[in-house]
Amino acid sequence: MSDPWMERLSDYLEDDMPAAERLALEAHLETCRDCSVVVSDLRRVMNRARQMDERQPHRDLWPGIAKRIGATSAGAQPIRRRWSFSSPQLAAAAVLLMTFSGSTVWLMRSAGSLPADGPIAATAPPPATVTAVNVRRNAAENYAAAVEDLERVLSAGRGQLDTTTVRVIEQNLAVIDQAIAQAQRALLADPANLYLNTHLAETMRRKLDLLRQAATLVPVS
Amino acid sequence: MTQFGFGAVTLEHENTGRPDSDTVDATLAASGDASAFERLYRHHVPRIYSLVRRMVNDDDADEITQDVFVRAWQKLGTFRGEAAFGTWLHRLAVNVILARRETLGTRRKRFLEGDAVLEFLPARKAGPELAMDFESAMERLPDGAREIFVLHDVEGYRHEEIAEMLGLATGTSKSQLHRARLALRRHLER
Amino acid sequence: MLLFLAAGIALAASQQIDTTVTVERGQRLQVNAYGGEVTVTAWNRNAVRVETVTSGRQRIEISASATTLSIRAQGRHGTSTEADLRISAPAWMPLNLSGVNTTAKVEGIRAPISVETVEGEVDVTGGDGLISLRSVQGSISLKGARGRISVNSVNEDVQVVNSTGEIEAETVNGEITLEAVDAAAVDASTVNGDITYAGPVRTGGRYSLSTHNGDILLTVPEGTNANVAVSTFNGEFESEFPVPLSGTRKGKGFNFILGSGSAQVTLESFQGTIELIRPGGRKDRERRDRSDH
Repeated sequence: MSDPWMERLSDYLEDDMPAAERLALEAHLETCRDCSVVVSDLRRVMNRARQMDERQPHRDLWPGIAKRIGATSAGAQPIRRRWSFSSPQLAAAAVLLMTFSGSTVWLMRSAGSLPADGPIAATAPPPATVTAVNVRRNAAENYAAAVEDLERVLSAGRGQLDTTTVRVIEQNLAVIDQAIAQAQRALLADPANLYLNTHLAETMRRKLDLLRQAATLVPVS
Repeated sequence: MTQFGFGAVTLEHENTGRPDSDTVDATLAASGDASAFERLYRHHVPRIYSLVRRMVNDDDADEITQDVFVRAWQKLGTFRGEAAFGTWLHRLAVNVILARRETLGTRRKRFLEGDAVLEFLPARKAGPELAMDFESAMERLPDGAREIFVLHDVEGYRHEEIAEMLGLATGTSKSQLHRARLALRRHLER
Repeated sequence: MLLFLAAGIALAASQQIDTTVTVERGQRLQVNAYGGEVTVTAWNRNAVRVETVTSGRQRIEISASATTLSIRAQGRHGTSTEADLRISAPAWMPLNLSGVNTTAKVEGIRAPISVETVEGEVDVTGGDGLISLRSVQGSISLKGARGRISVNSVNEDVQVVNSTGEIEAETVNGEITLEAVDAAAVDASTVNGDITYAGPVRTGGRYSLSTHNGDILLTVPEGTNANVAVSTFNGEFESEFPVPLSGTRKGKGFNFILGSGSAQVTLESFQGTIELIRPGGRKDRERRDRSDH
């Protein structure tokens, strides 16, 4: 295996070689049996690799996954028709709102991420990248700025509001946020869908409306 | 032409962009629909499990496969439908496997030096009872060489992608692949 | 001109107040109570009567101008307080009622009504002209109203029954029920809840029912002329009668025309069932049974 060409045979097979060198190697293969046998073997190795069968696991791995993501192992978990909120979820929603207070740009720019076992996102959003939301950048920025402003007002005034009211507003913002996230995800699958585009815009407007309404509840000091 | 429908009509996922059923399921799963995610699991588990099996020790394959799907569930929000769901999932699986590899520790020398690769793999003997088949031989390759071989020749990643994923120079990826192929050629089924 | 009638009825101990003030047409009634239950009932006198039981920390301030009779319940030093107010007013008198932890019940006023509260139910029977009812945490119920109706909750259900005019109904986390309504324009929208509409679809009318996570139930009377647009992402469409599906399916929805198609009906549910039912049909009877209980 001291033949220096031997080291280049994979490059040759992957067409990763300057033309002149390639011609020289092809001339070499005419005369070197070792190299031509190896080329033939390597070609077979590459073909063999491409023909590998897919294998099923020896056991069903889904129940373990379902358990870990909080779904029932019986399989189908129907979509909730009406979201309901338990106290821990409300707490999660409150944490979510506080976490994102003043930084809801993610709403417009990322699809967000939902927790494994409930409708309210309590996990951090993924890094922002522009999605298929059919809103011009300016509109998106204006929206984000408006949301941010209102959240600042709310955040500053939350101490003056009844705690139940704060909780209800946060819960409803979470309901809207989830609807927005779902609409955004649906748009990824179908960016040109007119209904989804208007539905998303309308749901985002609802969020602004609710924030405005909530902001007016804060007493002017 | 006008047709008449009576009773329940289920609207198809018919739409302007025509996403495949994976994309629709991924969208549903991202909004918390576990049954949509189970469909994705059933559809993709053979490919992911096979990838895991080839990349890591057999003993850990089940658990890592589950890790991949749990991670996918958590990361669905980042799936933007720009690539096929299968491609996205596959790439995520590679990342999970590589991250897991670090924690599993290196049981064998990771990369191959020169002809050393040949020493790891007993040559295919004439008698079938002693022979190691191609897949078994592949699994016996040192981890680093095996990863590169699986990613390149089995899964079709380019050297540049592999180098980035594994934190190697492209040249290292190429030379390790070549060594792995040379080792495996002795285990081709005749 | 400001006519000061009564002010600073501050009392040392709990005491019943019963004051009646004469009013004239052209005046409106303005009620402001931070909390408690406020009941406004129409009577046949051109006067407003205010009945309440106050504690020493409360005062009820009643002031009148040519245009407004104002009733204000507040703490002695202008602080917030709760007071149950029973008010009688002429049916012609427009009403503005605002509060925070206030429950509002209005009966028999045949004039514009606006009610705004944060935590409390709003229950109005009557109303004529501009009618605007809003609560954040309480449900809204409006019956027997006529005019331009706007009902808005955040966290509870909204219901408009036996009313005519133009209706705008909104909530975020609640159901919307529009029952026995006769409206030329309807705009009902919720994020998390069902929407039910039962009433005629007027020629040239515009009806838009939209929810994200809930079902839409629309009764369609015989002889309806409407262009119906149905949109959903992950929902279903069901109809109790044959629906002509023309070649206009687009997106995840479709249009169809009933009769002359002169009204525009838009039905949207992101992930619920959109259902068309016949008045008096099985679904309608089930629906009525449910609303009776």
